[in-house]
Amino acid sequence: MRLILIFTLMLSSLLAQSKANDVKTFTLKNGMQIILLEDHSIPNVAMYLFYKVGSRNEYPGITGISHFFEHMMFNGAKKYGPKQFDITMEANGGANNAYTSNDITVYSNWFPRSAMELIFDLEADRIAHLNFDDKMIESERGVILSERSTMLENSNESYLMQEVFAAAFQAHPYGWPVIGWESDIKNWTKNDLQNYFKTYYSPNNCVVVLTGDLTLDEVKKLSKKYFEPIPWRSAPRKVHTVEPEQLGERRLFVKKEVSTPHVLAVYHVPEASSTDYYSLRLLNSILSSGNTSRLYSSLVDEKQLATEVWTHYGESFDPYVFMIYSICNENVTPSQIEDVVYEELDKIANEGINENELQKVKNQKLIEFYHVMETINGKANQIGTYQLFFGDYKKLFDAPGEYQEVTAEDIKNVVKKYFNKLNRTVGILRAEGETK
Amino acid sequence: MNKLRINLITLIIILSATSFAGNFKLPPYEKVKLDNGLTVYLMEQHEVPLIYVSALIPCGAIYDGNKNGLTFLTSESLLFGTKNFTKKQIEETFEFYGASISTSAGAEFIKVNASFAIHDQEKLLPIFQDIILHPTFPEDEVQKRRQRLLVELDQAKESPRQVIRAYFNKFLFTDNEFGNPVQGSKGTVAEISSDDLKNYYSSYFNPKNSSIAIVGDFNISEMRGKISDLFNSWNMENRTPTNPILIPSLDFNKKRVLLVNKNDSQETTFLIGGKGISRNNTDFTEIQVINTILGDRFTSWLNEELRINSGLTYGVRSVFVPYKNIGTFFISTFTGSENTEKAIDLALQVLNRLHTTGITDKVLLSAKSYIKGQFPPNYETSGALVNLLTDMDYYGFDDTYINNFEKKIDEMTIAKANEIAKKYFPGDNLQFVIIGKASEIKDVVKKYGEITEKEITADGF
Repeated sequence: MRLILIFTLMLSSLLAQSKANDVKTFTLKNGMQIILLEDHSIPNVAMYLFYKVGSRNEYPGITGISHFFEHMMFNGAKKYGPKQFDITMEANGGANNAYTSNDITVYSNWFPRSAMELIFDLEADRIAHLNFDDKMIESERGVILSERSTMLENSNESYLMQEVFAAAFQAHPYGWPVIGWESDIKNWTKNDLQNYFKTYYSPNNCVVVLTGDLTLDEVKKLSKKYFEPIPWRSAPRKVHTVEPEQLGERRLFVKKEVSTPHVLAVYHVPEASSTDYYSLRLLNSILSSGNTSRLYSSLVDEKQLATEVWTHYGESFDPYVFMIYSICNENVTPSQIEDVVYEELDKIANEGINENELQKVKNQKLIEFYHVMETINGKANQIGTYQLFFGDYKKLFDAPGEYQEVTAEDIKNVVKKYFNKLNRTVGILRAEGETK
Repeated sequence: MNKLRINLITLIIILSATSFAGNFKLPPYEKVKLDNGLTVYLMEQHEVPLIYVSALIPCGAIYDGNKNGLTFLTSESLLFGTKNFTKKQIEETFEFYGASISTSAGAEFIKVNASFAIHDQEKLLPIFQDIILHPTFPEDEVQKRRQRLLVELDQAKESPRQVIRAYFNKFLFTDNEFGNPVQGSKGTVAEISSDDLKNYYSSYFNPKNSSIAIVGDFNISEMRGKISDLFNSWNMENRTPTNPILIPSLDFNKKRVLLVNKNDSQETTFLIGGKGISRNNTDFTEIQVINTILGDRFTSWLNEELRINSGLTYGVRSVFVPYKNIGTFFISTFTGSENTEKAIDLALQVLNRLHTTGITDKVLLSAKSYIKGQFPPNYETSGALVNLLTDMDYYGFDDTYINNFEKKIDEMTIAKANEIAKKYFPGDNLQFVIIGKASEIKDVVKKYGEITEKEITADGF
């Protein structure tokens, strides 16, 4: 009872500090949606542009082009030519970055408020008039090949994930890596890029989020001046491919020079807008968040079978996978790890979880929410993420309540529903490969 | 009770709140010294209902002796149990409330950081205190962590990026304590016992030179009482480091190359550098401006040449690592094995530009604007502010670093910029650490200096 009281207290103080109503939004005539939140704690602004395009919009032959495109967005338009986007922004105190996922491509700018009009001008120029300079395409191709190679050189996790995803998804584009296959990276053409631009980089396929030292009036004025004249284009075709139900365990091996084996097991689970989303997110915390989580305490602490374990379930447009990743301790075989992982999942399916454990992960989610709300950057990224994946940024503010609604029975049910052997793909990475 | 306690405290300074439009200022805070010598910083921040606390204990890997990894293992083991709480109780309590507690170890100090919701402070602050004042280092838990660390040391070498700085430090500082790898090596870690940790703790954990910063949604006068109640009992007389650490010279008289062979490498990962600066260098801010131009932003000279113009790498940076009385500098990047020579030559050419062509008005103006514009977000959260306050205490710089930051930058002339470029950025007798496939790159890299070779699989760095 006391636990619930604490939670209610925390929730009310949260609401006092940040409300969904403080967020303003309007849509321009060309369909571009602008969302903003004033926060005057520092004299800076964060601007995020979310495009609804990612590697799920690709097809064999152009895998990785969404990410390549992300890089090309910095390589010159009409008013600001090659290199000028970054040179101009940095000379005015701004910095930028971008990321591409399976589902979306996100561009972020962080700048002092004095640079706001300039940033609108820079963004409008590249959305309306991106240009593809042959020389820039070639040097950027080298950059991407280096990005891919350094990822595989330094991250065994990336290596194994790439192989496991290719096996888990046979029809859906989530099966190829966001960075793309090497031969595709080497063979994209300028024409592919131009088509991609026309198809996906229209203002109506973009949501812009601004947070920080700004006002609604100035954002309205600048959006109308710079973004509204960019012509609307017809919406891209929908991704219609549905991954067929998996009807049997898939297993694979990867040979790589590692000191101890890595094991990744993935299960097909539904997308972010599903009713099971919040239960699966809490399950993710129950399994691996902190030293008292089920898999850490069992695999790493008590049995000392693994040096590391993590699990992941995030936002996606289409049904995705829940990942369980472990690295073996010395002289431990992958099957020993697998046995414990499946045992722990079965335990939840059969016995459920206790209330204290459930309350723990709910409390963790609330504190995570506070941490997001601490920075203008965190607010901008989360507001956009909720708008895209849940259809409404207001749901960000409902999230603590949504987590609160999840019951122990819900957690038990999602484990029963999704975590069965037929629905599983397991990959093992080890120095000996498959032979041993 | 709290009000009485204040008599035991020497009040040093209370800064008043002043915020100038357009000029970022450090929020007001209070600094007090407890009777036992512990320095406490208190700062109110009310944006979210959280509290952050950070303790800095000035003992680091430079005090490891020949048991490299001792400081690191001690810092990790602080969380394994205390006089009043078992490991399980510590973890269950912090995790139940969604709070965090972590330790970190570096060359010069250990930090213990925690954050939690305001409502949970009465339960969590006493545990935080016990972790610092009364850790017990239980044998079984230490043994478990040590075993895992031994495996992790091998795993780390599967990623050149994870280990290249340990090689670089060892190569630069050779046998000096600053070359000690923080996480140790397999040979040394295997020798560390629970008793070693207890001895290390009782030798070096001293309130006198330590500091605690607490920032968040509280009232300073209440929190001052709580913190002094909790930490006044920390008394450890005559426990100061016994062996003063000699500050080594980093003035090299020849170029040297360390080539670390990793047989399955597809790319070459390298650092090029030498002597850097100490954190309390009076030109610290101006040096950051020049480093921004060289290699600390997207349009930096290094990134423009190695990434934008040539596509040789995904990323390149130049970095100063400042310690209290010394520091290192390096350029850091990676490239496909076949491009090793091209990338190193280009990096050297760019570094040389600082010493030859020098800096122009235009690029200086741009860098000044960039560094000022990006400054406030660095100190936006309470988590960043606790670390700033304990860093200020340890390194001996003060609020003027924040409050005069813009002014110092505005006043920086082109003459000063070029003077700094020549004075603080190494130009001659550079030191190279290169990890890659030796059979493919040895002939290329030996031209850069006197070569030493190692296998990445060999123990240590």
